[in-house]
Amino acid sequence: MARGTSDLSELDQEKYDADERVKIICLGDSAVGKSKLMERFLMDGYRPEQLSTYALTLYKYTTTVDGKAVLVDFWDTAGQERFQSMHPSYYYKAHACIMVFDVQRKITYKNLANWYKELREYRPEIPCIVVANKIDADLKVTQRNFNFAKKQGLPLYYVSAADGTNVVKLFKDAIKLAMSYKQNSNDFMDEVMRELENFELEQKEETSDKEDNVSKEEKDQLP
Amino acid sequence: MEYVAKRCGVKFDPPSIVLVYEDGKTKKMRQRIMPVRNFSKFSDCSLAAERLKSNARHSAYLQGVSLQQLERLHGVLRDRLRGHTLEQSLAELRPDPDQDLNKLSDEELARRKAHMDVLFERNRKRKDDPDFVYDLEVEFPEADDRGTCSWDESEDGF
Repeated sequence: MARGTSDLSELDQEKYDADERVKIICLGDSAVGKSKLMERFLMDGYRPEQLSTYALTLYKYTTTVDGKAVLVDFWDTAGQERFQSMHPSYYYKAHACIMVFDVQRKITYKNLANWYKELREYRPEIPCIVVANKIDADLKVTQRNFNFAKKQGLPLYYVSAADGTNVVKLFKDAIKLAMSYKQNSNDFMDEVMRELENFELEQKEETSDKEDNVSKEEKDQLP
Repeated sequence: MEYVAKRCGVKFDPPSIVLVYEDGKTKKMRQRIMPVRNFSKFSDCSLAAERLKSNARHSAYLQGVSLQQLERLHGVLRDRLRGHTLEQSLAELRPDPDQDLNKLSDEELARRKAHMDVLFERNRKRKDDPDFVYDLEVEFPEADDRGTCSWDESEDGF
C-alpha cells in the first residue's frame, strides 16, 4: 500500500474477540487534541505503547463494567491521519469510535464528514461519539449546535482536554457503548467477515485433504 | 527584578534582537540592542534563542522574556535571511485558522502545535491545582436550546 507506514495487518487483533477486551479508536485531523484527551483521561496511569512503524499509539486501560473487569485498548493515530485516511486494520474489530474536531478550526469540523465516511466503510454499525474539543478557548461554542452530529444521529460532547471538562465522562461513556455493542453485536460487516474466514478455512481443509490422499496413494504403492 | 522587559523586537541590519525595558533603579525606559552572531538562514532558531538568553552580557535583561518569544523573533530574522518579507513571516506567526494542518511538513506542524500549546498550558488544570476535579462534568444547553452554527451555513450542503 502506498503509505509511509508498515502493514498494520501484522498486528495480532484476534485478542479483541475475547469477552473482556474492547478496542476503541480515535479519529480526527492533525492537532485537534486526540492524544491530549487520552492523556487527560488516563492522567499518570497511562502506559502508551508507541508503534511508530505503524504511526500508531496504543493506550491500555483497565476498568470494571457491571462488576466485570474489562481491558480497553485505545488506538490513537500518530501522524497517520495526515494521509487523510487510515489503514483498514486501524478500523478492524473496533467496538467504538471517538471522533474529534477543534472548535477553533472550521476545517477540522468539515473534515469529520470524510472521517465518518471512511469509518462507516469498515465499521457500519459501531457506536461513534462526536467530540467538540478545546471549548476552554471559547465557551460560547457550547451554545451553538453542530449540525453534523445531529444529522448523523450521533451524540455530541463538548470537552476540554486542558481544563478537563467532560473528558472522563466521554471516555467512560465510550467504554460503556463499546461493551454494549460487543454484547449485542450482529454487525453485518462482522457477519460477512466471519463468513469469509470460514470460507477460507474450508478451502484450506479441502486442499489439505487432497494432499493427504496423495500421500496415502504413494504409501500404497510402496512395497 | 532589576530590569523590567516591556517590549521586544528585531532589527534586520545587522540582525539583532531589540529590547525596550525599564531600569528598576532609575525607573527610566531604555533600549538595548543585542546583535545575533553566527546566525545564518540555516541556523536553528531554538538553539540561537537559548544561546542569547543565557548569554553572560544579556541574560540579566532577558529574564522577563520567554524563550518562545525569542525563538519567534529569531524566526523572523531567519526568514529575512531566506528572502521572505516581514509581512510573510508575520503572517506565519498569526496562523490561518482555515489551513489544513494535515498537509503540513513535520516541522511546520510542530510549530503550529507549539503555538496551540501556549493556550493549552494557560488554561490547563493540573492534578496538584487546589480546584482540580478529575471527573469534571459540565452540562451545557440541550440541543434544542442551542443556536445554529455559522459553520453549518455553507454552500456545500454539509
